[in-house]
Amino acid sequence: MLFWRRAGARLDVLRSARPAARTDDPAARTRRELADVFGQRKLFQKAVPGLMHAFIFWGFLVLLPTIFEAMLAAIDRDWTLPYLGHAAWFAFLQDLFATLVIVGVFTAFLIRKVQRPDRFRGSHMEEADLILLLILGIVSTLLLWNATRIALGIADHPTAAPVADALSSLFAGGTGTEVLERVFVWAHLLLVFGFLTYLPKSKHLHIITAAPNVYLAKNQPRGYLEPLRIDLASADADVHLGAAVATDLSRKEVLDLFSCTECGRCQEVCPAWNTGKALSPKLLIMDLRDQVAAEAPLIASAAGTVELQPLVPNAVEDQVVWDCVTCGACVRECPVDIEHVDTIVDLRRNLVMAESRFPREAEAMLRGVEQQENPWGQPASARTEWTSGLDGIRILEPGDPPPEYLFWVGCAGAFDERAKQTTRSIARLLAAAGVDFAILGARERCTGDPARRMGHEYLFQMLAEANVETLSGAGVTTIVASCAHCFNTLANEYPDYGGSYEVIHHTELLSRLQRDGLLPAKRPAGGMVTYHDACYLGRHNGRYDAPRDVLAGAVRATREMERNRERSFCCGAGGARMWMEEGGDARINDTRFAEAEATGADTVATACPYCFVMLDDAAKAAGSATRVADVATLLAESTLD
Amino acid sequence: MGDAFVYAEVSAEGPKPVALELLAHARGFGMPVAAVALGPGATDSARALGEHGAGTVYASDDPVFADHPDRPAAHVLAGLVADHAPDVVLFAQTYDSRDVAGRLQARTGSTLMANATAVSDPRHARAEIFGGTQVVEVELDGPSPTIVLLRPKSIAAERGGGDAEVVEVDADVPDDVRGARVVERHEEQASGPRLEDAKVVIAGGRGLGGPDAFALLDELAASIDGAAVGASRAAVDAGWVPYSYQIGQTGKTVKPEVYVAAGISGALQHAVGMKGARRIVAINKDPDAPILAMADLGVVGDLFQLVPAITEEIRRRRGS
Repeated sequence: MLFWRRAGARLDVLRSARPAARTDDPAARTRRELADVFGQRKLFQKAVPGLMHAFIFWGFLVLLPTIFEAMLAAIDRDWTLPYLGHAAWFAFLQDLFATLVIVGVFTAFLIRKVQRPDRFRGSHMEEADLILLLILGIVSTLLLWNATRIALGIADHPTAAPVADALSSLFAGGTGTEVLERVFVWAHLLLVFGFLTYLPKSKHLHIITAAPNVYLAKNQPRGYLEPLRIDLASADADVHLGAAVATDLSRKEVLDLFSCTECGRCQEVCPAWNTGKALSPKLLIMDLRDQVAAEAPLIASAAGTVELQPLVPNAVEDQVVWDCVTCGACVRECPVDIEHVDTIVDLRRNLVMAESRFPREAEAMLRGVEQQENPWGQPASARTEWTSGLDGIRILEPGDPPPEYLFWVGCAGAFDERAKQTTRSIARLLAAAGVDFAILGARERCTGDPARRMGHEYLFQMLAEANVETLSGAGVTTIVASCAHCFNTLANEYPDYGGSYEVIHHTELLSRLQRDGLLPAKRPAGGMVTYHDACYLGRHNGRYDAPRDVLAGAVRATREMERNRERSFCCGAGGARMWMEEGGDARINDTRFAEAEATGADTVATACPYCFVMLDDAAKAAGSATRVADVATLLAESTLD
Repeated sequence: MGDAFVYAEVSAEGPKPVALELLAHARGFGMPVAAVALGPGATDSARALGEHGAGTVYASDDPVFADHPDRPAAHVLAGLVADHAPDVVLFAQTYDSRDVAGRLQARTGSTLMANATAVSDPRHARAEIFGGTQVVEVELDGPSPTIVLLRPKSIAAERGGGDAEVVEVDADVPDDVRGARVVERHEEQASGPRLEDAKVVIAGGRGLGGPDAFALLDELAASIDGAAVGASRAAVDAGWVPYSYQIGQTGKTVKPEVYVAAGISGALQHAVGMKGARRIVAINKDPDAPILAMADLGVVGDLFQLVPAITEEIRRRRGS
């Protein structure tokens, strides 16, 4: 009863939150639910803590019927569940899992008290201790109750439960034991109910919220952000422009907040936190949760206008919101599928579009994207400067027949000196392999990615709509993108604006051509190469192999960094941070470059112009001789004359 | 018809530019204008004040006005106002003038309007509110003189007066009116114009190798009038110069007559901050540096030799 009342406030917040469209493809959702919840898949990303939690979780599932057994037996000692109450195999399972839970709890205490990992910094440790003790109490009383029943001779299958059987020798079997049997069953029930009442206000609420939260997680690749579909002309006075107060959050975002177990796996991998910035994804979620929980009674009771505090700066400071590079390492780690990046972008949307409160140095980028349709404010006509000296680059004019591949150059690839090197390499490779491709030239506009990650959803929307018109109007069906951010946006986000194309990354196309023998290697390029996985290609879209395949066939030798593939450490430019000043103790790009250098490689290969620029800058700052080059350039050096 | 008083801030260098603007405002009234100049440099300023429209200048060079902020000035001004009964007293909307105006108003009990952008006559003024999107016309009631504080740069100063009659004012300020005493003056190193306003910008990048080399750029800038020193992001990130020096995408955008880039490669992120310069001179030892392609004059060479040599040559030609 108490449980429902206390949970009620949190339920009301969920009810008042913005609906989120998360019901598509139930089959995929169910598969994820089975793997992540029942299979505890993400928890096993850390072996020992994963096993520890799995024991407790599976134990919880298996022992659920025992609660009802206890309730029945509390009323009448001889009552029990039909069938299950008499099954030997269930008695065995009870015994086994109760023991495994105890092992799990002790392991948890060892981790928390002896090993003391840094990811728990900022978490509520006392709350966790209490919960662990309650769990210990619950399963111990269960075992002891079973033991007394065996001692009293009223258990059906005493030998089926070896641990309880062994414990039963502690009890003489007389009236003392009869009393103890009652004591243990009631203690067991009281602990269970106490646990239930404690649940709603504690982080242990995750046992209820985690399962739906996993079900409602995104089906799309993680780099996808949900559109706002801003219609300023609409009659609706309330145009949603991001999250300002608690009631602006969507149901998924609120459920995220209530699912956090404060485990800190996200904090551990965050590039910002690891370089001394204020942002910790865990603390961000906890702080937002605390404010939403505190305001829950206000939200639940009032209809209409309510005096809610702005989430930024009340729950989290402005700088915390801007520190994020949207690399998604936190989302990848989270065992309960909290989507931190989505919430951060939602907060940014309000800060940028409604309040105009953002780091001033990014203004030039937004202005450039809006007026000249590229972040550097360069004239559109300069987009084809990189073609000088190269023959036969077809520029797709309006009315021309569409090419097999539309080569989307991107703003960096067109305007940045270093990225232009990559563009030229790609064009020369495609031409050498006889690929039918064309570029949009001056008709290309920024995909809008930097504006969108910054939170300027409206600007992004305008660009997306305009680009789709150009692309679809030209009859384009397949796009090859040379920038990981362009790739992500074109492939995953443009379909929301009517633009569905087959989008591949340049490393995928080059790998195909290489496999088909169209780009035979003439010499090994580079020396020892280490590949840096771009977040927007790798973790956000699961593309890890194509760049590696290309390198394998082009360079002398390769070596992996420790943090590779889905564990890759961001270059620091994502989340529009390329256009912001960086604080903290160390720079993210310097940190990653040091990691690359430590492999002993003399070349760092990249697949995204942002990564290229950031790591090259880091190399220069470190005075290092290590070369930074795109995979395409290395392939060109191996293949072309 | 009475006359208009203008409280003119003066210093040893002459009248402050805003004082001349106030005279331009006052001339629009079509009535005799008198300027009140109190403090060292007052009598020397009288000529310029006269040339800009003051018929009379009440001046006192007494150091008491410099040694004690606002109260002595307000006291003497109040005395002048009581004696001559002007219709209006104009002040600049500056920190110093505000203090004097406030104290004067306490004595006269008349209407004071601050932050005005225009004043058509002693009883009518105009202000802008809501970020300049609304204009408010204000009628000033009450006894004379009305007191109006005008924003600097709200009007252009105009020459066209004649000689002003200079009336020596007795700075008879009793001790109990002196108030606070200035104990120390600190002048911010006026190291030249702001980066954004400078006609010539000398910028250094990674090629400088460390903070010490910026001294070479400082020397070069000092040898040119109106030059300021900037830097690329590489130099700022390395901690050689503060962020205020940064020119580029996430720093300042400059549009000088001449931009000299020493040891800067000219990557896009920097170029966006300076490509509007009329003339670009680049010094870099790397012949492939992108900035050389952007420059009107690109020199492939060692900046540690070239910059001092340029400074030396400039000095020689100026004969200093």
